Amino acid sequence: MRIPPDAVIDSAESLESLMARYQQADEGAASALVGRVTPLLRRYFLLQASNRTHADDLLQDTWMRLHRARHTYRPYEPLLPWVLAIARYASLDNYRKASRRESHERQVDVLPDPPNPVTGPADSPDIDTLLSALPQRQREVIVMLKISGMSIDEVARATSSSPGSVKQKAHRAYQKLREILSAKESTK
Amino acid sequence: MAQAAHRAFTDGEAGDRAAAARAEAAILHDLRPVRPLAPDSLYTLILVLLCAAAAVDAASVLGMAGLRALSPAQCVLVFSALLAGACVAAVACTRAMRPASGKNLGPLAWILAPSLLAAVVALAFEGYGTGGLVNEGVPCLKAGLCLALPTGLAISLLLRRGFILNRSAAGLAAGALAGVAGVAMLELHCPNLKAIHVMVWHVGVVIASGGIGFFLGLASRSRLVAR
Repeated sequence: MRIPPDAVIDSAESLESLMARYQQADEGAASALVGRVTPLLRRYFLLQASNRTHADDLLQDTWMRLHRARHTYRPYEPLLPWVLAIARYASLDNYRKASRRESHERQVDVLPDPPNPVTGPADSPDIDTLLSALPQRQREVIVMLKISGMSIDEVARATSSSPGSVKQKAHRAYQKLREILSAKESTK
Repeated sequence: MAQAAHRAFTDGEAGDRAAAARAEAAILHDLRPVRPLAPDSLYTLILVLLCAAAAVDAASVLGMAGLRALSPAQCVLVFSALLAGACVAAVACTRAMRPASGKNLGPLAWILAPSLLAAVVALAFEGYGTGGLVNEGVPCLKAGLCLALPTGLAISLLLRRGFILNRSAAGLAAGALAGVAGVAMLELHCPNLKAIHVMVWHVGVVIASGGIGFFLGLASRSRLVAR
């Protein structure tokens, strides 16, 4: 039985509580959960995708997967590792699909302009360039730690690795970012 | 870094709201209550029992000559090792069912496990003469795989109850667990207790079955990506 959307939603209600109610077909909780998790997921994909349209496609795909997988969420356990584990694989599957597609594409002389490129104010730090210099696994750890605000343990769960491995990747990523920023400073 | 990232994306909250509205429309269209998956420990127990039942069932049809040939000490050593192996593979299977359920077993674990099984065999049995190794061994490998394949299918049907992210890892775990069932059946049925025979042809069932599961998982992932 679906719970109608006018059921009470407390704005301070935790994501985990909303998820538990979503599992019970509470429409209001589902809407609230989508509203609160989408910005986080969108930032995650915008930092990995080549353009905004692509990121939004990944986001939609991920929500479909989250919906199909909702029975696997264990009520009241941290939600973000579960969400980002699924988002991560949506991104990976998409990357593999794109690689397969590219292997069948032919070269052209003039490339079309990419749609809706991700742009920012001229004076903002080029986050995309900084993060794209990192290997994929280091980039996703930094995005989860610093942009999604997850803990080391939560990132470890989302990436099916150990906290030690996450710390190591983060450490290497910070070193690499420091090197890039130092190189930029010295060329100014 | 989060603020810089947010500033970099000019459509900000409006873009987030539009994206959320699209996701919400798709989800609410198909909203039904779901029953959360049972605890991991229950699935682990079911998988181990499935594995044991398959082995005993097959051995009871083929005959228990192997069990009669084993000494009590050999029984304890071999079946304890197989039980431990089944538990590890079953835990790997249940983790594969649920996103973010824990650390995946790394490649080293999958190499160590059959090596440890081979070490237990070396401890329990004697005889490293290679006379008749292939002729005596191939029927055992075939019989073990003939049990492992349908057992692996049954395991994969149970795993589909969850939501598998890493299909190749899930395939490897399911294949390895099914392989353990095959080995257990062979230990119950096969009276050939030469260490080299057991190490190569019985333990080989786990390796072959795990490999088949891994490649089937990889193939199903490739089909999913190709769609």
